[in-house]
Amino acid sequence: MADAPMTSGGLLVFKPKPSLPPPPATTGVIGWMRFNLFDGIYSSVTTVIGVLLIGYIAIGFYEWAFVRAVWEASSRNECRISPTEFGTCWAGVEFWFTRFIYGRYPDAEIWRIDLAALIFVLWMAPLWLPRVTAKVIVGLSAVMVFPFLAGYLFLGGERNWFMAIMVALSLTWFIGTMVHVAICLVTNQGLGRWIIQATGFASRDDRLQKYPIIILSLIAYFVVYFLVADWQTVEVVPNQWGGLFLTLVISGVGIASALPIGIVLALGRRSQMPVVRVLCVAFIELFRSVPLITILFMATTMFPLFLPKGVVFNNLASVIVAVCLFSAAYMAETVRGGLQAISRGQYEAAEAMGLSYWQSMGLIVMPQALKLMIPNIVGSFIGLLKDTTLVSIIGLYDLLGMINAVSQDPQWIGLHHEPLFTAAVLYFVACLAMSKYSQHLERKLGAGDRR
Amino acid sequence: MKKLSLLGLGAGLLAALSFTAAPAVAESTLDIVKKRGHLRCQIGTPSPGFYNLKSDGTWVGSDVSICRAIAAAIFGDPNKVEFQSVSSTVRFTALANGESDLLSRTATWTLFRDTQLGLSFTTVNFYDGQGFMVPKDSGIKSTLELKGATVCVLTGTTTELNLTDYSRVHKLDIQPVVFQDSNVRNETYLKGGCDAITNDKSGLASNKAGFPDPGAHTILPETISKEPLGPAVRKGDSQWFDIVRWTVFALIAAEEAGITQANVDEMAKNPPSPEVARMLGVEAEVHKGLGLDKSWAHWIIKSVGNYGEIYGKYMGSASSDGIGIGRAGSQNDLWTRGGLMYSPPFR
Amino acid sequence: MAVVERPRSGSDLSSVINDERYRSIFYQILVFGTVFAIAAFLVNNTLTNMAAQGKAAGFDFLLGTAGFAIAWTPLDYKPVDSYLFVYWVGIVNTLIISGISIVLTTILGFVIGILRLSKNWLIGQIAAWYVEVLRNTPLLLQIIFWYLGAFANLPRPKQSVELFGADWLILNNRGLYFPNAEFGELFWLTAVGMLISVVAAIWYNKRAIKQQLETGVYVPIWWKILVILIGLPLAIFLVTGMPLSWELPVLKGFNFQGGTFILPAMCSVLVALVIYHSAYVAEMVRAGIMSVSHGQTEAAYSLGLRPSWTMRLVIIPQAMRAIIPPMISLWMNVVKNSSLAIAIGFPDLVNVFMQTSLNQSGHAIEIVAMVMLFYMTVSLTISACLNVYNKKILLTER
Repeated sequence: MADAPMTSGGLLVFKPKPSLPPPPATTGVIGWMRFNLFDGIYSSVTTVIGVLLIGYIAIGFYEWAFVRAVWEASSRNECRISPTEFGTCWAGVEFWFTRFIYGRYPDAEIWRIDLAALIFVLWMAPLWLPRVTAKVIVGLSAVMVFPFLAGYLFLGGERNWFMAIMVALSLTWFIGTMVHVAICLVTNQGLGRWIIQATGFASRDDRLQKYPIIILSLIAYFVVYFLVADWQTVEVVPNQWGGLFLTLVISGVGIASALPIGIVLALGRRSQMPVVRVLCVAFIELFRSVPLITILFMATTMFPLFLPKGVVFNNLASVIVAVCLFSAAYMAETVRGGLQAISRGQYEAAEAMGLSYWQSMGLIVMPQALKLMIPNIVGSFIGLLKDTTLVSIIGLYDLLGMINAVSQDPQWIGLHHEPLFTAAVLYFVACLAMSKYSQHLERKLGAGDRR
Repeated sequence: MKKLSLLGLGAGLLAALSFTAAPAVAESTLDIVKKRGHLRCQIGTPSPGFYNLKSDGTWVGSDVSICRAIAAAIFGDPNKVEFQSVSSTVRFTALANGESDLLSRTATWTLFRDTQLGLSFTTVNFYDGQGFMVPKDSGIKSTLELKGATVCVLTGTTTELNLTDYSRVHKLDIQPVVFQDSNVRNETYLKGGCDAITNDKSGLASNKAGFPDPGAHTILPETISKEPLGPAVRKGDSQWFDIVRWTVFALIAAEEAGITQANVDEMAKNPPSPEVARMLGVEAEVHKGLGLDKSWAHWIIKSVGNYGEIYGKYMGSASSDGIGIGRAGSQNDLWTRGGLMYSPPFR
Repeated sequence: MAVVERPRSGSDLSSVINDERYRSIFYQILVFGTVFAIAAFLVNNTLTNMAAQGKAAGFDFLLGTAGFAIAWTPLDYKPVDSYLFVYWVGIVNTLIISGISIVLTTILGFVIGILRLSKNWLIGQIAAWYVEVLRNTPLLLQIIFWYLGAFANLPRPKQSVELFGADWLILNNRGLYFPNAEFGELFWLTAVGMLISVVAAIWYNKRAIKQQLETGVYVPIWWKILVILIGLPLAIFLVTGMPLSWELPVLKGFNFQGGTFILPAMCSVLVALVIYHSAYVAEMVRAGIMSVSHGQTEAAYSLGLRPSWTMRLVIIPQAMRAIIPPMISLWMNVVKNSSLAIAIGFPDLVNVFMQTSLNQSGHAIEIVAMVMLFYMTVSLTISACLNVYNKKILLTER
């Protein structure tokens, strides 16, 4: 009975033997490597091949990007590292970088793009703050209301009555959102509740509670409307838009307008009415089955013929319309997928409650389906962002178009690899960030459903 | 009554749609441009010498200068231009549907284009021709030695058709490799992916300047095509046609008369000859038919210089934007020096 | 549910809106009318505009001479041929490049997908980054990269590489050259022999499986099948006096003449398409394999199956059900994305027809319509296959 508990002073005390150290080759760096990298001959061989592959690529890249680099030059000729050889001319990229981002947008007006970007970030930021309520409204308004403000900031010039209304609305909404976020962070409750309490309506009848909110919003709206009525910026025609800015405008407008059109198309596709269904299916299948480049060609060559005489559609407008139609068709399928994932019980329950078609869609089905769709929507946006590179083929100055322009400037003629590499990095960072975010979202949204 | 009102709505919609299709009343291009306050001038995607994007976002180049000259003639301000940089696929459509007021880009004047696309070429402001470039060490001295060679060419232009024709006529059995992007084409050539590049000779010269070792390449002497390049306008507005055409003539005539950007003010004060006086609007009223101000030619020269100055700046080597093509004795020299640049008299 | 008898009376006009059946018909007429009106409006504008520009719509131009050369096509195309033939050349080239890409993409994607699940940390990481980098950069940039970074750097014709030391497989920056088969008179006998042997091999394999199911004895038959597959055609081939000769590529002047070749541009498009889409396939494969419950693996192990057998016989067949539907829509994407070949000058349909032919002839509407028609036909065919497959797996499910 060697393992019998030892007694000491009549008490039974458990005294474990000191455990042996783990075998030296299973812990620490060595153990980790042994287990993960050299687990058997096959694994070891592949590891060695992998290391060689990485090394080869890394050395080649280092030599190209750093050893042969020229960081300061004012023309490509100064980038020569020998009379018959050019170095890697990062100076050219630096020289043109503003244009890569903003295109031909006048230098003095670039703050407008930056301001719009800042407003967008501020508008979207609350989605990441845990204490903020009504995130869906904040997020949707960023997609649906913000574009009018951004559109005016980008275009400038005189506002027609519609834009005047929408810009003021957009600004009011933005201010409201910011106030809402601030109140949420301080008091842990939304703007609406706070107003109700502050105005002393909390004790009143439920039906009366909405009035102070409506009145205050109207007052805020008119104050903003008259404050910005005289505010005007210099007009910048879309011809001068370009670079990454244009890429984001095209894909942003594409995805923002794709959502409502896509929802309508998806509902149409599931409709009981044969005419509506056939039309929707035809539209979706037509745009999904042809490559984007053919749609862009169609837009630039055929749209001008479609319009009545005297109405002129510039290239950018044609392209944006084409991208919207294209992404709407894809979005319709994403939405349909989301709708299909909602169990029949939900529809039937909504019907049993006596809700109308639009009520059951808007209150029961869509909110659930949208949640399921968000990762796919982000995925479509990434796809669209990548696909917008095609607009350079039909002569727009998106990031890639701008890069082609550099190589045609007599001072930088032929400078091509470095800007292309820069573009690839920009795209990679943007798309990777978004795809990681969508994966994170997928996990977070799915958390409630997992067992 | 709901049904009726809804039907009425539908009918109204239909009617509204069909009425908007009614043709608008024709208005002269000059009036439209003046009302708009700026000129819409179509250029191509960046091409060295003709139209280049600078890193400050402005356009420069010889065809760009034509646009500026026309804006100067109308408004007295060369900056009242909106440049529309459009790919070659849609260049003629964009002019025909009224998006652009004129086309000032390297479009070759051909019978087909002049008669069947609803546009008119006004005059020639640059004579180009298609040629070949080969590496020096290949030892090729003439295009006829290119039998069986692989030749790089850009798609969507007459260049591609000329190459095929030339190959057929001379039984050269040339294998074309077609590119969309001139950078990719150049790199293919530099790495030996093709034995020669074919393009307009001006293009070849500018490409060569951008090669790592320009001295190692040579442009063959043969010119296999005629490429007269010049501004084009929509058919049917003869006043606008005249304005564009005579703007180019004014540039050429100014060079002939020795009027430059620097001395134009002086010349307008003391015209050395009656021709100059007529041109600069000091004497007689020859400008009237154009519908422009009498100082129109003065404004043009004041803003962009004469033809020779523009050429020197962008096609020659007078500035860092130039692509260094010699002018003396070429077709683009003045007729007085053996070239083809000739302006009808300002009388 | 309470059934309420709705008032139906033809004379009351308001019932059109309130009665469900009439309302639906009314809406449909309204939608159809609107769409029709818009279409009529657009067609009217187009005709007016084309008349104003002095253009006539119609397909007559298709028979006109194209006049330009095409860098690569398996067909006998000459510049004097018509635009219609150019259309056909474009279709064939697009189908070839997308067909090859689809096959290679699927194979490579499976390999990467399985590598991503590798226990080797480094390999798993490489595969993961491979997928991330490829999926998050535009395909257009990737095609340009493969062309400029790899295939344009191949040696010039005079310094051509003879692959595997064979003088008939030649690689240089003008393309990959290989011999052209010239079939003799009696070669058809060999072809028939091949067909017979394939049928025989399938039958034999089925019989062996049946036998194994009945008796439980596993007989290795792969070498017997090999003998059937190779032996019979070879015997016929030898008996008929080897009616096959090869036309070898030979360096003449600037280039290799004779034989068949594929352009470097084609190689780059192929590599770019395959590698780009393989990243997506890899993700599908990974997701598919992960979707198979771990219990299946454990059950297979407890039955004594080896890991490789478990993968092949248990996991993959079940994963296929989740993999195939997205895979087929990916194939559709490969066909569509092959149109990006335009960037580096591979003569696919969009390049030769929608770009060059459109520029030369100016018949935008007809050409755009024809190109769209082709892509729609292809994609509808592929989705029809998908539907058939979906039906099939639904049947086998329960």
